[in-house]
Amino acid sequence: MREAVMTAVSLPRSPSRGPLNATHWLALLFLAVALVFAAVAWTTGNGFYLRLATEALIFAGLAMSVDLLLGYTGLLSLGQALYFGLGAYVSALVLRDGAPSFWLATGAALAAGALAGLVGGVIANRVKGVYFALITFGLAQVVAKAVYNTRELGASDGIIGIPQIRVTLGPLALDTADPLSFFLFVLGLTMAVYAGLAYLMDAPFGRTLAAIRANEKRVPFLGFNAWGHKLAVYVLAACVAALSGALYPMLRGFVSPELLFFHTSGNAVVTVIVGGVGTLIGPIAGSVLLTALRSVVGSWTEHHLIVVGVIFMLSVIFLRKGLVGALLPWLERRAAARARHGRRSAP
Amino acid sequence: MAETIDYLQFILAPQALNGLSLGVAVVLMALGLTIIFGLLDVINMAHGEFYAMGAFLALSLAGLGVGFWALLVLVPLLMIPIGWAAERWLIQRVFHSRDRHILTLLLTFGLGMILEDVLKLAYGPNTMRPETPIAGGTEILGMFLPNYRLFLIGFGLALIAAVWVVVFRTRLGAMVRAAAFDKDMASSLGVPVRRVYAGTFAFGVALAGLSGVLLAPIYSVFPTMGRDFILMAFTVVIVGGMGSIQGAVVAGLLLTQVQAISSLYISPVWSDPLVFGIMVLVLMVRPRGLFGRLGNA
Repeated sequence: MREAVMTAVSLPRSPSRGPLNATHWLALLFLAVALVFAAVAWTTGNGFYLRLATEALIFAGLAMSVDLLLGYTGLLSLGQALYFGLGAYVSALVLRDGAPSFWLATGAALAAGALAGLVGGVIANRVKGVYFALITFGLAQVVAKAVYNTRELGASDGIIGIPQIRVTLGPLALDTADPLSFFLFVLGLTMAVYAGLAYLMDAPFGRTLAAIRANEKRVPFLGFNAWGHKLAVYVLAACVAALSGALYPMLRGFVSPELLFFHTSGNAVVTVIVGGVGTLIGPIAGSVLLTALRSVVGSWTEHHLIVVGVIFMLSVIFLRKGLVGALLPWLERRAAARARHGRRSAP
Repeated sequence: MAETIDYLQFILAPQALNGLSLGVAVVLMALGLTIIFGLLDVINMAHGEFYAMGAFLALSLAGLGVGFWALLVLVPLLMIPIGWAAERWLIQRVFHSRDRHILTLLLTFGLGMILEDVLKLAYGPNTMRPETPIAGGTEILGMFLPNYRLFLIGFGLALIAAVWVVVFRTRLGAMVRAAAFDKDMASSLGVPVRRVYAGTFAFGVALAGLSGVLLAPIYSVFPTMGRDFILMAFTVVIVGGMGSIQGAVVAGLLLTQVQAISSLYISPVWSDPLVFGIMVLVLMVRPRGLFGRLGNA
């Protein structure tokens, strides 16, 4: 029954074919490249690039949360920085004034993200389409201005002097001060979040979101609660953004109100569009690529916005599904060809 | 009693008049945004950058010796082809897709990003302040008001009235409203819809540029000058009703008054969150805003 709805309207390529499809291969490829990068950076003792790559992964988490809403549910959020910044501030406050515990900080950030997501979701889900984009934008602006003007939260300076911490993972322990181990930790966390979300998007929950994206009005007729699913995915996206935000002060040792500004939300949207909307791996790859691009272009000129802006606009016009979306059909064709070849060569 | 009158005359009234001069400028920006949305369903995220562009164009032309009065005509004229080109070459590329609301929003967002950086590249990031073209002040009822602000209020109100007349009382405006109401029907009745689209977008952009010229002497000129201002304009358009001209005027004047008067009682830094809070409330209670859309009004 649900399949019938899916095929009635043009949907993004359904990724759920087999346990390991082309998107998942891309994720493994990305992981391999990241590990090679870590090895090279470690042998050359380059801490700067490891930290930059860690930051790219942190913002990849924010981009994934935008993709959950935009790519899978068709809701454009222009205020995802609200939850990212909230996670960062809560984590910073816990680490500085509470206990220097990774689990306490991320737990508090997740709880705050879920709570704020619930409130924001109830407000934002009253409206649809462009109005949803504008209301998320407005909500983030209210909070950003409020934080910017609150002296207890450091006002325009933000919170500085957040201590480096030691993360304990059962028998293992690592220092956030060590670029390599923190990079590997964030990489593992990002890929775990990716795997969890990718699984969820292939599960009935994700298929219902796809149905909402395709035609929201028909969803209740099939016995599904559209509003509840939209609220659930909004809260989920808020939690993912808050979790990513919680890592930021551990990496940089400070948080500033800029994390809450439209700039941050806008960048996340750009990352999703350039990387590939509705693929989850696209936003991760996009975040890494754009961070690298900014770093490279930034070494020549400070005007990297022109370059990023042109790439972004070209993606919107020509590559509707972003870089990964452009690669996927090719990868799938190759996989199909290999499968045919395998059958033919079998005795 | 005397204290109340003094309070009204020396505290409340000047603040309200300051709010009015800002309000007129915000309405000019919001008018462009709302007409573009009402007709094309496009949220022009680059509107603030077009506003900044108008201010910088005015600065450059003034450097070449062009007078202020000529600028008021010249800058909008120069902005028209820019807006026309943006509509034809960018907006139209994604206009017929299913997600055009979101795609055009993203596209203009990207355009704004590029324009802002181009302005930075061309003029540097520093703040510039053109000289006030109309010097001096006038005393009204014991209040001292800068002449330029009075001019801004008068000129702005006249301009708003002119836009109103064009949209609601001329053949051109009828074509625009017809295209907004039903583009296929308008097209079959001989309205050149594509040209109306491009022309309207260019008109909105020209209005933004003109606001830039008018406000440059008050708020200084810098590449990101559009950012704070565009937030207010968006708020106004949302509260007034996306695509509604009456709504933009009423909400623009109302919200700037709220901002101006509230900053007497609460710290001015909190008046922005207050205005955004009003916007969020309006979106929750009445998502369509206070007034109806362009084609239906």
